[in-house]
Amino acid sequence: MRNKRGWFAFPYVIWMALFVVIPIVIMAVYAFTVADPATNATQASLDNFTDMGVYLSVFLRSFWLAILATLVCLLVGYPVSYWMAKEGPRFQRVAMALIMLPMWMNFLLRTYSWMSILENNGLLNQLFRAVGLLDLLGVDHIQMIGTSGAVVLGMVYNYLPFMILPIYSVIVKLDGSLLEAARDLGADSARVFSKVIFPLSLPGILSGVTMVFVPSVSTFAISNLLGGGNQMMLGDLIELQFLGGAYNPHLGAAVSMVMMAVVVVCMVVMNHFGEGEEQAVML
Amino acid sequence: MKRSNHVGSRLFIGLVFLFLYLPIFLLIIFSFNAGDSSAVWKGFSLDWYAALFQNRLIMESLYTTLLVSLLATAIATAAGTFAAIGLYSLSKRRRDALLVVNDIPMMNADIVTGVSLCLFFVAFFQGWGAFAQWFNGVQDVVELPVRLTLGFGTMLLAHIAFNIPYVILNVAPKLRQMDKNLVDAAQDLGCTWMQAFWKVILPEIKPGIVSGALIAFTMSIDDFVISYFTAGSSTSTLAMRIYSMTKKRITPEVNAVSTLLFLSVLALLVLNNVREVRQQRRAERQEIREPSFFERLSMRFSQPALRWARRGAAAALACGFIVAVALLTGATYSQPVVNVCSWGEYIDEDLITQFEDQTGIRVNYQTAESNEALYSLLKSGGADYDVIVPSDYMISQLIEEGMLEELDYSQIPNFELIDPRFRGLPYDPENKYTVPYSWGTLGLIYNANMVDEEPDSWGALYDSQYAGSVLLINNSRDALGAALLHLGYSVNTTDEAQIREAFELIAGASRRGVFQGKVMDQVFQKMEGGNAAIATYYAGDYLSMLDNQADGVDLRYVIPEEGANWFVDAMCVLKGAPHYDNALAWINFIASTDANLANMDYIWYASPNTQALEEYPAYYEELYGEELDPELYEIMAAPPEVLERCEMYLALPPATRALYNSLWIELGI
Repeated sequence: MRNKRGWFAFPYVIWMALFVVIPIVIMAVYAFTVADPATNATQASLDNFTDMGVYLSVFLRSFWLAILATLVCLLVGYPVSYWMAKEGPRFQRVAMALIMLPMWMNFLLRTYSWMSILENNGLLNQLFRAVGLLDLLGVDHIQMIGTSGAVVLGMVYNYLPFMILPIYSVIVKLDGSLLEAARDLGADSARVFSKVIFPLSLPGILSGVTMVFVPSVSTFAISNLLGGGNQMMLGDLIELQFLGGAYNPHLGAAVSMVMMAVVVVCMVVMNHFGEGEEQAVML
Repeated sequence: MKRSNHVGSRLFIGLVFLFLYLPIFLLIIFSFNAGDSSAVWKGFSLDWYAALFQNRLIMESLYTTLLVSLLATAIATAAGTFAAIGLYSLSKRRRDALLVVNDIPMMNADIVTGVSLCLFFVAFFQGWGAFAQWFNGVQDVVELPVRLTLGFGTMLLAHIAFNIPYVILNVAPKLRQMDKNLVDAAQDLGCTWMQAFWKVILPEIKPGIVSGALIAFTMSIDDFVISYFTAGSSTSTLAMRIYSMTKKRITPEVNAVSTLLFLSVLALLVLNNVREVRQQRRAERQEIREPSFFERLSMRFSQPALRWARRGAAAALACGFIVAVALLTGATYSQPVVNVCSWGEYIDEDLITQFEDQTGIRVNYQTAESNEALYSLLKSGGADYDVIVPSDYMISQLIEEGMLEELDYSQIPNFELIDPRFRGLPYDPENKYTVPYSWGTLGLIYNANMVDEEPDSWGALYDSQYAGSVLLINNSRDALGAALLHLGYSVNTTDEAQIREAFELIAGASRRGVFQGKVMDQVFQKMEGGNAAIATYYAGDYLSMLDNQADGVDLRYVIPEEGANWFVDAMCVLKGAPHYDNALAWINFIASTDANLANMDYIWYASPNTQALEEYPAYYEELYGEELDPELYEIMAAPPEVLERCEMYLALPPATRALYNSLWIELGI
């Protein structure tokens, strides 16, 4: 009887082959070929990868900004999840809803509202002017938009929930008796945290880190809107090759492949820690 | 001690929430602003809400967003649930292997998923085109469409593809927790397998299905990147619409639509929370609940005697749904349509309505950011435009690559009204493909209050004294063109050394921090708001900036002494355009004198229509009751002696184009 239900999986296997595997294969084909600009004929080549050295600074910037954003998210998100899990059920429910709520507004809307805050003549600079901070510093405005700081801010703002939710869902399920046992055995609260709570919340942290890092390293909308086009990131580089000003899908596919490799590394790490990611998405 | 800790932690959480919500509240507050700035408060008004419901582009994209999210959620939830059940009856080894593949779309960066799906669809369309041509050739019973393009369908497929994994991931744990013997027990007690499914499995895994559907919906609503790469040109979600608006000028209507979205979600959440609390209380009190109306109904329906009625009803419902969808899509597709792609704020939108009222042809109006971006879009197969409005050099490139259709000028009588000066130009020497839309010059725009002396040379763009307040134009042709002119070379040079020298000029200035940013349409907000001092942009756009400049900003326009570029943007029809006749009707309508006058007044670019060009000053006087400043008119429609100093772009050979591209990317990194 059970085997009969196995057929239920069959359409999905075909679906996955069609919409997950084949697209990636096609992307790989693009990545390992180049087109002759004059004739449009394609030929197999590794040029896309060997020439990627030019973009080293884009890679470095992307990884650097994404790591920064992930760290900030972790530093802010961990305490929030930890303290949230300690509150009463009512508080937790409301807080959860409040964290999810912004996600139902598209992230571009939220990023756009930061644009008007950070502009040279924006709300924050107006505030600084009103309190006399700008006169104090003797400047006309503080440059915020178009800086890497603004891009990191945009990433933290958009992806912070992705850090809070998985960590929270792990901590909230921690077995209270473990903590009691630790205390009974003479651990003070700092030791309980460092020896019991923190190690047990690692899966949540790991999945939070991937869930923030992957979209951060690949974003192009945030760097475009808040970075003012000065902060080219991997996502921008890819977008430029497909829908932007420099049409070269082969190079774009090659950069995407590299990005996929990064993700695969993340996945391997995650699988190593088992359950983490499922809990993450289960919320 | 314990107490103060509590306060401290709550304070921290409160601050984080403030960080999360402050921008949203600002967005909401400024949706009630009387002015159109999102930084200066001018008083309370509801105007933007009224304007929102009038704004067809935003409303259409909102509808698309909701439709694609709901459809994708519904389909992905059903498919994902069945897939999960199937996966859980496979052996563990096979299941784990499949689950790894299942994880890919979830773990992969959005942009990688989007790009790979885009390439997949395009490759499929090419294969399909070949097949359809062959198939139509060998038989003539069924006519298959040869040309497929990205659109709503591909976007929906992409959304379903990235939603299913989330559903599976949420349903799977519930299946794992479920007691396997339950199904056997139900079947032993005489249930058929279907009954066991509906009565045992489904109720057990329901929470997983609900949370899966919820997450799928959230992901769909929140998505921008994957839609951006798979929706092609004729469909836009709200996010895509906003993305293209941020390049120009965002109107507070966007704030209004965000507010409405936010409030409706908030209301739903509050309702849901209240309901949950109530249920919990009831459960605590062990209260026995009367079955609700729907539950009684479903109980009655699940009686075995009604099995056939039930199946019939289900079948009827399914058929009804399919018919409804088919009718709906049929209704939108059977109406005559023309797909137009132009530039941002490059048309008086009343003209679209006028054309629709006159002809009954619906105009699907989209915008591209630059000629190069348009070219990419066309090459990637993402576009099913009929009419495009590229600039001169791009037109000759498109003609060279055989991407344009010849026009049937007998259907465009208004072509006669085009000034002979603008016919048979180098990009289309025999004038077989184009009808000019507008023309103008590229010059320096500067804020007289932010520069010490008025610049009259392109050199100002690379001058360290303006460090941090120069805007570089974000397309390789114009940026390098200005540098070439400054060095005394032709804008059409193919000499690699000269181009590299021009590039070095820009790159050097960039290293010295002269440029505040690379912009296209963002130039409006930057210059109007006094956020930058000098920019390169088009004469027509300078004039529309003048209308909107903030207090203390004094914008001027100059054609530098080295000369400048003059350009013509012309309407063309793409090869194999699905709505050729409608496209010609649109072109003819836009080429008319009335449309040209309205457009000239709205976009401030000069018209190629002889009558419109002559009549415009009088038209302006009649409309606004004041004389048109002749100086402004000369900026808009440059007199012949100015045009003489200007050079038109010609198409560059592929090798030079490749050089432009690679230099341009190098500049960005």
